[in-house]
Amino acid sequence: MKPRLLVIPAIIAAFSAAVIWASLQLELSPPMIVGEGMQPRAFPIFLMAINLLLVVILAVQLQREGPKRIPRQPYTTWGSVVLLGVFYVLTVTLDMFIGIAVVMFLMCLIWGERRIHVAAALALVTPLAIFILFDSALKVRFPRGVLVNWYYG
Amino acid sequence: MLEALQAMGSVILDPYLILLIFITTVLGVIIGVLPGLGATTGAALLLPFTLTMEPLHAITVLATVYVSATFAGSITAILINTPGTAAAAATTFDGFPLAQRGEAGRALGVAVVSSTMGGVFSVIVLCVAAPLLARVAYQFRPPEYFALTLFGLSMLASISAGGAVRNLIGGVVGVWLATIGADRATGIERFMFGNYELYEGIGFVPVFIGLFAMSELLVQSGRVNHIVNTISMKAVMLPTKEDYKKIWKTVLRSCGIGTFIGILPAEGATVASMIGYSEARRWSKNKEEFGKGSIEGIAGAEAANNAATGGAMVPTMVLGIPGSGTTAVILVGLMVHGLRPGPYLFTEQVDTVYQIFGAMLLANFVFMAMGLYAAKIFARISLVPRPILWPVVFALSVIGAYALNASLLDVWIVLIFGVIGYFARRHGFAVAPIAVGLILGEMVERNLQNSLKMFEGEWWLILTQPLAAVFLLMAFLGLCGPAILQWIMTRRG
Repeated sequence: MKPRLLVIPAIIAAFSAAVIWASLQLELSPPMIVGEGMQPRAFPIFLMAINLLLVVILAVQLQREGPKRIPRQPYTTWGSVVLLGVFYVLTVTLDMFIGIAVVMFLMCLIWGERRIHVAAALALVTPLAIFILFDSALKVRFPRGVLVNWYYG
Repeated sequence: MLEALQAMGSVILDPYLILLIFITTVLGVIIGVLPGLGATTGAALLLPFTLTMEPLHAITVLATVYVSATFAGSITAILINTPGTAAAAATTFDGFPLAQRGEAGRALGVAVVSSTMGGVFSVIVLCVAAPLLARVAYQFRPPEYFALTLFGLSMLASISAGGAVRNLIGGVVGVWLATIGADRATGIERFMFGNYELYEGIGFVPVFIGLFAMSELLVQSGRVNHIVNTISMKAVMLPTKEDYKKIWKTVLRSCGIGTFIGILPAEGATVASMIGYSEARRWSKNKEEFGKGSIEGIAGAEAANNAATGGAMVPTMVLGIPGSGTTAVILVGLMVHGLRPGPYLFTEQVDTVYQIFGAMLLANFVFMAMGLYAAKIFARISLVPRPILWPVVFALSVIGAYALNASLLDVWIVLIFGVIGYFARRHGFAVAPIAVGLILGEMVERNLQNSLKMFEGEWWLILTQPLAAVFLLMAFLGLCGPAILQWIMTRRG
């Protein structure tokens, strides 16, 4: 028994258990409405019961197969994940387009682009082009923010 | 039949549609040659751009991207030993060795011709089989649909990436995601945690963009230092008479295999190309050439993966069950544009359906011309540096997700599912089962509910319906067949 191999099944099992718990908190519908059908909570519980069964099989399979070497994530991957968080913060606090431009610029640099002017040009031109296309051709109204407020007036 | 042919022929008389097919084919080929950006990601990213289009034009865009990107993966598979799409992975086995021998033009010529033949064959099958299947599907009631969707979910077990158990877990999670929102029968809110934007359920498009595009971005972030060897080529050469003699049987066989695998719910071009390749090897008189530059190997894989495109459209349009990851996006496209996938599509929107088929047929010839005359240019596009390409994909992903419903929640869903998809893939879980499960989830629950009401709560009566019983048996065999077979083989020693 290798406990390290049980991490993934344990995470899925915990998720399934959490869903079952959340399903049990759902309201019950009056029998008159449900009739011969199912209560809204029944189907998710049924699904997660199947998932728990599959998790047991997965755990056994993993023990049989033994550990597999998963290469470590390079800093570029972690950096990109962090940038997704940066995008969230900038969008909520400032403006979605500022978020996109900053993340594009930093992503270019983190991924190895050494020419700062290329990264800067890409980060400015792409969001601008997308904004013009979606605003004029597709008539999309973008969320309010510093730049969008200034544009919409 | 005459009306169908007329509708298909009308595509050629519509200059706007032809222009659209041409532009989208160029776009599809570019998407196909860029490693990591496959047909599914491409279609998911393009879907928001089709919002203001007519339904016919929108679905034509998505279907054209599907067929052209599936073919284009072979260009980089042959010239830089990197399949542009997963469906072209089998093409690298013989395409690159042949190119290394100085015959890149010949390899591409065989790939182009085989892909076109596969694509055209499958569209013809689509035109014939879809209305026939629709006629059968008119008879389906909730028990049959419930059993059919279970069969579709059971087929997830055999999707190439991951393993059966991992894929099924992904599928079940996808079905659960479909339960988020207000229960359609009772109106009771499920897993919304006070967020009323989720009342109608979780959006398919942001989940797809997250799972396919954003997670791929994170996967590609680990490959920024990947170096590719390019092979120079003078021009693409059409196969010679000798080549045709060598490959025609393989192409025909792969056309059949690819179309059949495409029709099976949840199977797609990747599985088709692998089986097409292995069958080409099995039946070949020159097995020793395989892996060293066999044109039969290229033809087997390429005819099969493009044949799967038409095949996968059959269950998508007739039953509303996606035949692959990309057709799942096309299915969403159909729904977004008010076309109700299912047998009634063939009575209510018959002209549109055949025009879509006609557009797919035309797209096959357009990508053939592009493959023959512009493959060299497209191969260069594949060398766009990752630090330039993927930030653009990021911008398109978030704006595309937002544009559909003008909702920031959709953008957060993209980010969340991007990270979930990345970690799932890192631990051997494919993301396509989650997407297919999400699409089928509502169908499974609704038809189970209706079946229970029909049989007054006695669920086992579903088994007494002949067609439903057949689908359930097929689902059981799909899930347990390999294990039973292995057990029998072990017993026999």
